[in-house]
Amino acid sequence: LYSQVEFADTSIIITEPYFNFSSIQESMTEILFEEYQFQSALRTNAGSLSAHHFFHTKPSELCCLVVDSGFSFTHIAPYCRSKKLKEGIRRINVGGKLLTNHLKEIISYRQLHVMDETYVINQVKEDVCYVSQHFYRDMDIAQLKGEDNTLLRDYVLPDFSTIKKGFCKPREEMVFSGKYKTSEQILRLANERFAVPEMLFHPSDIGIQEMGIPEAIVDSVQSLPEGFRERLEAELRSLVPAHLPVSVLLPANPVCYSWEGGKLLAHTPDYDEMVVTREDYEENGHLVCEDKFDI
Amino acid sequence: MVLEKKSSARVEAGQRRVLDEATRQRRLTRQLEALEKDNFQDDPLSSLPPPGPTARLPAFSESEEPEKKKRKTRGDHFKQRFRKNFTTLLEEENLSEKPEPNYLSAAAPPSSLPPRHFCCVCGFPSHYTCTTCGGRYCSSKCLITHRETRCLKWTL
Repeated sequence: LYSQVEFADTSIIITEPYFNFSSIQESMTEILFEEYQFQSALRTNAGSLSAHHFFHTKPSELCCLVVDSGFSFTHIAPYCRSKKLKEGIRRINVGGKLLTNHLKEIISYRQLHVMDETYVINQVKEDVCYVSQHFYRDMDIAQLKGEDNTLLRDYVLPDFSTIKKGFCKPREEMVFSGKYKTSEQILRLANERFAVPEMLFHPSDIGIQEMGIPEAIVDSVQSLPEGFRERLEAELRSLVPAHLPVSVLLPANPVCYSWEGGKLLAHTPDYDEMVVTREDYEENGHLVCEDKFDI
Repeated sequence: MVLEKKSSARVEAGQRRVLDEATRQRRLTRQLEALEKDNFQDDPLSSLPPPGPTARLPAFSESEEPEKKKRKTRGDHFKQRFRKNFTTLLEEENLSEKPEPNYLSAAAPPSSLPPRHFCCVCGFPSHYTCTTCGGRYCSSKCLITHRETRCLKWTL
């Protein structure tokens, strides 16, 4: 598919993390223009594309705060009139990778050695984990024995011959006492299901001395320039009932949200002014990228 | 008495060995580092033929492979020689001296909420601390498991 793209007439939008190292930024520009010879390039943050998507679909909104939970970390990034407010960006070093590794570790300790099965455990995480609404209440339920334990799941691991992909055993087929007659390998998961994603909200549960997402949002908003917090609060107040101080939007497809934003951005009339063209780069080198791209 | 023996990592308390604060911190750091590992792994399904009618098609790409392999080894050599890890890059940037917001200043500060404690064996809320290593446990049953398996050693 990619071999059909003529790089020399193509513009590329590429995303990188907030505060990426400048040496990496530099080599990225070099690769894009010198190796691939792209006609023009725009380096940006995925969150900026999400923010663009948001401002595009809701033109009346002036500011938004993007919570971007990724592979290595979670970023909280405020945007005002589609401008990124750098002083308000907060990073929590908890991402999907850490959750998978933690789940792998506790399963390996408690039930079955799966330390070398990152891919399978990632699937387990995606299939059974959820964010608890009442953490301690769920903890109590997870502790119950037998049928009362509504949170208990038996996960059938894939053997890659008859079972290609793991799945949860349907509740009516679950054996609550004693062993299964069948030979499948089974993981029994209860508190792991919600204790693992809980690390996003309480990184201190496993000893990472950092704020969780809600606290970090407050911290981020408080660090913003004079007036931003009041404005955000006032706007939120007028939008939602008094007992609900925050409005949160989860895109229908969060994985593609920023990609869609990039697609929209590529079709805006200002796009040509945002990119750096190859001629520009050949004339001025990496400096022009440093000026133009705000990472 | 405790002061005298502080130089050794394990302080005697009666008959049981007790880890001091620094060692506990080191163990925690090591554990967190293990959680940060990338563990790159291929999709175990990628070696299986794709489902559907395409599964029977033979692979024709073999003739291209020798060329690809050659380039790969050269790239590996380059990578080995000029490899920089995350910490080197971070040091090179010299961020702590820069006034503008940067990677270091963006890190979320410690939480103001008190830490919650969970049994390191079963994962349920715990009220007790292992006197030897500082690990948490919830019942004597879990304490026995903890002593036999994790206490004073990391089985990672």
